[in-house]
Parts: sequence; C-alpha cells; structure tokens
Amino acid sequence: MAASLPLPNARPAIPWVTTVARLVLGGVLIAAGALKIGNPSDSVVAVKAYQLLPDSIAVPVGHVLPILEIVVGVLLVVGLLTRAAAVIAGLLMVAFVFGIAWAWANGLRIDCGCFGGGGQLGEGQEPTYLLDILRDFGLVLLAAWTVRFPPGRFALDGALGLGGDSADEEEDE
Amino acid sequence: MSKGNRTKSPGSAKSRSAREKIKEQQAAARARDKRKRVVTYVTAGAVAVAAVGLGWWYAASTSRSEEATAALAPVTVQADGSVVMAKAGVTAPVVDIYEDFQCPACKEAERVSGPTFKNLAAEGKAKVVYHPITIFSQEPLRSNSVRAGNAVRCIADGKQWMAFHDLLFQNQPPEGVEGFKTDELLQWGKQAGVTAPDFQQCVTSQKNAQAQLDYSKKISDAQKLTHTPTVKLNGTEIDNAVLFSPSQLRDEITEAAK
Repeated sequence: MAASLPLPNARPAIPWVTTVARLVLGGVLIAAGALKIGNPSDSVVAVKAYQLLPDSIAVPVGHVLPILEIVVGVLLVVGLLTRAAAVIAGLLMVAFVFGIAWAWANGLRIDCGCFGGGGQLGEGQEPTYLLDILRDFGLVLLAAWTVRFPPGRFALDGALGLGGDSADEEEDE
Repeated sequence: MSKGNRTKSPGSAKSRSAREKIKEQQAAARARDKRKRVVTYVTAGAVAVAAVGLGWWYAASTSRSEEATAALAPVTVQADGSVVMAKAGVTAPVVDIYEDFQCPACKEAERVSGPTFKNLAAEGKAKVVYHPITIFSQEPLRSNSVRAGNAVRCIADGKQWMAFHDLLFQNQPPEGVEGFKTDELLQWGKQAGVTAPDFQQCVTSQKNAQAQLDYSKKISDAQKLTHTPTVKLNGTEIDNAVLFSPSQLRDEITEAAK
C-alpha cells in the first residue's frame, strides 16, 4: 500500500520491489525448469549444443539444471532462504548470459534451450540471442536486487525471523 | 564479580542484579531465538539441497543406459540401405529407427538407448531396423551427413556396418564445422574392420550420395518424418521421454512383443 503513495522517501517501497523481483525471477525459473524436467536428455542435448562443456560434465549439468531451477524458483517465490536462493539464481543467469553470448560469438545456430527444446535450429529458424541475453540480464538485475534487499514482503523468511537486512530494519523501526 | 558487588553495597546491587537478570534473560532469549533461526535455516537449506539431489538422481537414473551384451543379433544390410538387426525368425515387434549421423539428439539417443535396442534384438524381443537418413538442408551439416550416409552404404557386412555406425555417432562433428571427412571415414572403416577392397573408392567417390538423398526423401515423405531421431514401434512413434529412458523403452517394446 505504501508503495502506491507518492512518497518522497522510497524506502517503504523497497520490500515490495523485492517481492516483485522474487516473484518474477522465481516464476521464470519454475517455468524454465518445469518445461525441461520431463525429459532429462533434451536438457543434456541443449547443454551439449553450446559446446562449452566436455560431455562428461554436460551430462550431469543437463540432469541437474531443471530441478535446480525449480527448487531455487520455489524458494524465491515463497521467500525462504531468500538471499542464498537469489545468489544462486543470479549466478545461474550470469552463466546463461555467458553461454548465450559464447554461442553467439562462435557463430553457433542454436536455440538457447532456456525453456525446453534446445539444440540446433532448423532451416528458417533464427537464433534470438539478443532477446535471450537481455531477458537473462534483466533477471540478473532482479537477483542482485533481491540479494541486496531480502526478503521483501510475503516472505517465509520474514515470518520465520530469517530475514536479511530489511527484516531487521523493519523490526528496528 | 557480581557476587562481590552484591555483598559490598546491598542497595544498588539489588537493582543491578535485577537489571542483570533481565539482561541475562534477554540474552538467553536472543540466543534461543538465534539457535532456532539457525536450526530453521539449516533445515530449510538441507531440504532444498535434498530436493535438488533427489531430482538429479532421478534424472540420472531414468536415463541410465543398459550395458550392451557382448553378442549382437545378426545384422543384415538391405538393398535400400536400411539395416535389420534381429535374431533369426523374429519378425515382431518392429522398431524403426530414423536417424541422421550429424544430428546431436540422435547421438544422444544412441548414447542413452542404443544399447537397449541392441540388447532387445539380441534377446529376440524385437526386430530393429536402422534407417540412416539425411534430414539437414543447411551446410555444412548436410554435406557431413551425406558423406557419412554414403560411407555407411559402402559396407555390406552387418557387423562392420554396426561398428561403423557406432563410430560415426561417437565422432560426430560439432555443429557448424565440416566433419566426417573422407580420410576420417576411411580410418573409422578400418577401425570397424572393413576389409572390402572397394570401400576406399566408394567412400572417396561418394558413389552412394544420391542413393542416400533419394532414400532420405522417400522415407521422410512416406513416414512423414519431421525430426530425427524418430523411432517407431510397429509404426507408431515412440514418445521422446520414453525413447530417452532406457527402462521405459524396454518396457514399452517388451509390452508390444506380447
């Protein structure tokens, strides 16, 4: 409610911004993971398509990514272990940005595999690297915000007294 | 120290000890709270890590490959370039594998489920038919695929064909790179045990390139193939999730054998 008022001091809005950041970031992660989790091999193929990791590492990475995205996404949405989850989410997004940029720089024609699918593109399909990078970079920013100002409103961390800075500040106020 | 103070000046000591008591209680409460927080935090963290671990284990176990048993079922190269792998007398269920040597998902399917197909054929539970096709139309993928498809058509012996087929997938060139080069193909042929004298000439001249393309077109149209790998069980496409899960794949094919 406070956020909707044109306050000169924006501080009351901060936890709400965190909540929105958590929901967006967590929602995207859950969607991305859920679309991939049904078929671990698709995920492995998508990771291999980047030609960044040796096969022996690409296989376990392909297997663990979907579930990791879902668990981190759920933690963010419910606001549990917010800061740790946001750190992991941020690192994941940085890795994705790097991977996509790498594929782009090396002239690969692949689907980023972000939301299932992945691998090489067929004829007539064009990579969407720039969009993918911008989206993931935006998510990096949301993760950074959440790391800086956890846990936001409607967070289990707050209810359990696990909050980061802002929870302490709220108690002090 | 506080005891000493108390005996010296009872009046002020009393209030101080009360204050201290409150302070101590507060400190104890804070410590309790902190402990509780730590326990909650660690518990939540442990549950999250366990969930990731469990999901990871599940993903790894569904796509765990079978060990290929030593003896292959007899492999027969047919006139049209398709290859049948089946024990004598086994005519059903039919498993048709449409794959492109240059397709990464086909490589993954061979890695994960290839041994299952071989085992099922060896156990007499299925007649497996390989159809190497060229599905790519952009370069250099297409030329790579055609060179590989041509080379495998130069082999008449079933056992050598299968060994060569496996080597092609193992050595699949990365995307965007020219690969399956003639000298590589010749070397893998040697590795696969090919001794036929005309093999070298056949690979070098790409004698079967047109046959490979014609067959690809014909079979793609007839089977309405839109992607590789496509694996059909008695004419019905096997779902990707099943294809990449060896145990489910075995169940589905064994079920069809009944």
